[in-house]
Amino acid sequence: MPSARLIRSVAILPAAALAAVAAGCGSSATSSGPTSASAATPAVVLAAASLTKVFPEIEPAAKYSFGGSGALQMQIESGAPADVFAAASPKQPDALYAKGLVGKPVQFASNRLVLVTPAANPAHITSVSDITRPGVKLVICNATVPCGDYARTAFTNLGITAAATKNVVSETTDVTQVLADVALGQADAGFVYITDADAAQGKVHVIALPAQAKPATKDFIAVVKASHNRAAAEAFIAKVLSSEGQAKLRADGFGSP
Amino acid sequence: MRRAAGRAALGVSAAVVCTLVLGFLILPIAALVTYQPVARLIEGFGTNIATEAMLVSLKTNAIAIAVILGLGTPFAFLLARLRFPGRSIVITLVELPLVTPPAVAGLGLLVAFGRMGLLGGTLGTLGIEVAFTQLAVIIALLFVAGPFYLRGAIAAYEALDEDLLDVAATLGAGPLRRMAIIATPLAAGGLGAAAAVAFARGIGEFGATILFAGSLRGSTQTLPLAVYSLFDVNLDQAIAIGVLLILISAVVLLASKLLIARWTSSKSISPSRGELSPSTPS
Repeated sequence: MPSARLIRSVAILPAAALAAVAAGCGSSATSSGPTSASAATPAVVLAAASLTKVFPEIEPAAKYSFGGSGALQMQIESGAPADVFAAASPKQPDALYAKGLVGKPVQFASNRLVLVTPAANPAHITSVSDITRPGVKLVICNATVPCGDYARTAFTNLGITAAATKNVVSETTDVTQVLADVALGQADAGFVYITDADAAQGKVHVIALPAQAKPATKDFIAVVKASHNRAAAEAFIAKVLSSEGQAKLRADGFGSP
Repeated sequence: MRRAAGRAALGVSAAVVCTLVLGFLILPIAALVTYQPVARLIEGFGTNIATEAMLVSLKTNAIAIAVILGLGTPFAFLLARLRFPGRSIVITLVELPLVTPPAVAGLGLLVAFGRMGLLGGTLGTLGIEVAFTQLAVIIALLFVAGPFYLRGAIAAYEALDEDLLDVAATLGAGPLRRMAIIATPLAAGGLGAAAAVAFARGIGEFGATILFAGSLRGSTQTLPLAVYSLFDVNLDQAIAIGVLLILISAVVLLASKLLIARWTSSKSISPSRGELSPSTPS
């Protein structure tokens, strides 16, 4: 039986695989061991993509996951192990608050929607009315994320919904993708927050929206109810609302709450 | 006695391993299929967003697979038959996209074919618009799925009996004839399997497409992109489209297996070998 040895060695493999899995679980269990609040364990923060730059400036020690506010809401609904939720709109935190999944949302900043073009501005866009010209490649967020919601509100306020929608060539799931498409010159124009435009220094050209077009953009933050690290969550929110945190937000272009 | 006990233990552990592996692979699919009542699931298959994405997916994949077969087949034949210095480097280059993360592939396509990319200006002056068009989706598919076909096709041609092709050459068949009339029918099973894998990979393609082609309903939004855009809005619908994707892939893989099984049983190599045997008067 030449295969006896082979069989024996094959039989060892599953055992080795299980041992590897067990070892993996073991190590992760020890690292996340103390689930009760302790000052040493940093808060896990799910935050809107538009906060990617400023939040780590306010609290470098926290653990972040940035994304579209809608996707983050979905993650919290499916039980993501998070302590804090920060969104670029009251909608998502309010929906979670209504379901009892987060504490009462608090506004911590406001933002401003702007039109951006690539620095070279290939489509020669000088005002928001230019985006309705045929052939302009416009990128906006999905209607389900705040930046997409705000962009559509701006269209409505300006009465250009039909013409602008016709020029939309792509819808993204968060604001940073709009900025990337414009900064790379793939798109002719896109709607992002002034704070994102500022962060892309030099790569995009910013066009302010007329006063009547501006949707009110508000950033909200809340403690996740299922958090095992409430103290850190509350400390994080306090830091964002503190004068020091607010100064950092202001420095990055955010408005007062 | 002891031997019997050992055998039984082996049988039990074999059953445990099989159950573990199969269970692990099947569970997520079963969870997706049973997530909502069947009626609702089928309703989800027929929504506008699903239908539009389905049309985009089928159209772009059909074009991509046609290009992959048309250019990839002769390329694979040449690479399988020719021996030249640096051949292994060429094969590595062909296989590189297989292990390139899709997001990296998307970035590569952006900086190569994007409006500001290496070829962007050239394409622009030729009047070829790539950004956010179905052409971009097809380019992404060619890059991501194409190598799956190439690798399988090269292996299929390499597995052929060298003598057969040499004999055909001595009988006066030119290289093109040898490829079209002898090698390709004999390798058809392997080529079919490679094409099926490439198609299934293409239907599921996501990362490179969303980065390079963007996502717009009815234009560049393929089925996987529709799943991504829906998952935070309407999980039921996103899952329905996901199940649709799994069904398509399952049908493609199963159909290719059946076809190949039929092909290899009806076109066994021995009779054609007889026809081409050197004893045939030349």
